[in-house]
Amino acid sequence: MFLIIKRLWQVNWAEQWQYRANLIMYLLYWLVSPIIYLAVWTSIAKVKGDVNGFTVNDFTTYYMVLLICDQITSNIIIHTFAYKIQDGSLSGELIRPIHPMLTNALVNNVAFKMLTIMGLVPVWFILFFLFKPDFSSVTLAGVLLSIPAMVLAFFTGFLLSAAITSLAFWTTRVYSIHEFYFALILLFSGQFVPLTLMPQVIQNITQYLPFQLLIYYPVQLILGKLSAEQITQGYVMSFVWFGISLLFFNWVWRNGVKRYSAVGA
Amino acid sequence: MPPTISVQQLSKTYQVPEREGGFGAAVRGFFKRKYKDVKAVQQVDFKIERGEVVGFLGPNGAGKTTTLKMLSGLLHPTGGGANVLGFTPWELNPEYLRSMTLVMGQRNRLSWDIPAADSFLLNQAIYRIPDDEYKKTYKELDELLELEPLMKKPVRNLSLGERMKCEIAVGLLHRPKVLFLDEPTIGLDISGQARIREFLREYNKRTGATILLTSHYMADVTALCERIIIIHHGQLKYDGGINELSHKIAPFKLIGVILAESNSHDLSKYGTLVQNEEDWEKQYIQVKAEDVTRITSKLLADLPIHDITIADPPIEDVIEQAFNS
Repeated sequence: MFLIIKRLWQVNWAEQWQYRANLIMYLLYWLVSPIIYLAVWTSIAKVKGDVNGFTVNDFTTYYMVLLICDQITSNIIIHTFAYKIQDGSLSGELIRPIHPMLTNALVNNVAFKMLTIMGLVPVWFILFFLFKPDFSSVTLAGVLLSIPAMVLAFFTGFLLSAAITSLAFWTTRVYSIHEFYFALILLFSGQFVPLTLMPQVIQNITQYLPFQLLIYYPVQLILGKLSAEQITQGYVMSFVWFGISLLFFNWVWRNGVKRYSAVGA
Repeated sequence: MPPTISVQQLSKTYQVPEREGGFGAAVRGFFKRKYKDVKAVQQVDFKIERGEVVGFLGPNGAGKTTTLKMLSGLLHPTGGGANVLGFTPWELNPEYLRSMTLVMGQRNRLSWDIPAADSFLLNQAIYRIPDDEYKKTYKELDELLELEPLMKKPVRNLSLGERMKCEIAVGLLHRPKVLFLDEPTIGLDISGQARIREFLREYNKRTGATILLTSHYMADVTALCERIIIIHHGQLKYDGGINELSHKIAPFKLIGVILAESNSHDLSKYGTLVQNEEDWEKQYIQVKAEDVTRITSKLLADLPIHDITIADPPIEDVIEQAFNS
């Protein structure tokens, strides 16, 4: 299995390098919205002094950490896989004795992440010198705790997106379903607005949804904003949602493959 | 010993969405979809023993590829069953997948953007092929297919025939016991076709592998297969020896003629005129094989011939004529 992963990595890494321009465009697209939110919220906070207790520095540190967490926990499976189901190019992968989604597609995503994270580094430092944030609340313990949380979040997010991508076995318009899912992430992950600024009712709900695990939870962990109790609860939710998404993906995949029609090739 | 491949009452019906043109129909289709059942394969039965090479023939849309896709596990049937090497193919048991191969089209196992060599190494890992065995198999494949010059180029820069060679080779690296080949020689030049045929015959002899192949070229089939299965409109029409088949099908040839002056001469008195849209310059006459020499010399004597060719009719036409009546 190790050799399979190693060779998959070599192939996918080489493949990703082929598409440098695509990669840069993607990174820009991915960075634009958080940077806009950062700019908008900091200017509002500047005028009003703070927004419900969130100061300019709070917003700056929140969004600058968010840029990193988002890069680590997000995935592009819908763009790299759904078309294969639709145009039949999945056929070649489906009859290989390894799981197409949980091996090749997963490694492909990780290869893509590695490259976008490399691209994020200079952008992040430019922002750092522009906004000069104060990161004094960040602790080593928080950073260390956030790493397994983000790894879990990446897998949970990957499995949920993979399940939605697998709906392509049923419908040719899977992209609009994914757009809706993406809107839920935007709203409930803490990307659009830090969740503490949401109405209390929504905050209560988001605690039990998987979306905040992708962004809000690791960001707050790194920034040292969570109590021991909140950290524990976050970890419990991370494992619960990982389990749920694994079961959900497996169920969708199993039933989807039965419907595969191997058109084209 | 049980047969390597056994198929019982295997059926596949596709549901194809159907809608008439026009705005009204589009709106109605949004609320209520209409589906048409297309019976691609209907209750097909056959058994293939270990080591057999069987030609799977039929016109376009007859259900050949659908059957191959079911036997390789890509498609779930809507009825009936199949057993290959003791496995039910569409359960996609990894052990089954490691002991068979499906070669289909030119974009299957090779990654488009990277050199073929990388895809070969990836497949070595996926199929758990030990290094020494891999080297041995690769050497054999290279001798027969001349792969080495192709290995370093990105697959997208290879020609159709070169890609096909690589696809076949990469599909055989793990020395499968069962081979499903859908048009394995398509896109190859004559010598390439001959080489693939030679290779498959050799592979079958050496390993005792079971091969089921479809082809548009009668030459593939006559060179490799002693047994033929014909399906037409999803139904099994013939299963037996290739020699018995030729008695059933009256053999005929196509004579293609370009006249030097004009096309005003009536050729229908020499044989049946056949339409060919791809080659409008030429007029085609279909004649019985035994009459070819007589009619050709008559044509040459009677008419101002600019160019003349004699060829076998396409395999589809032969089957269409034999089984459609």
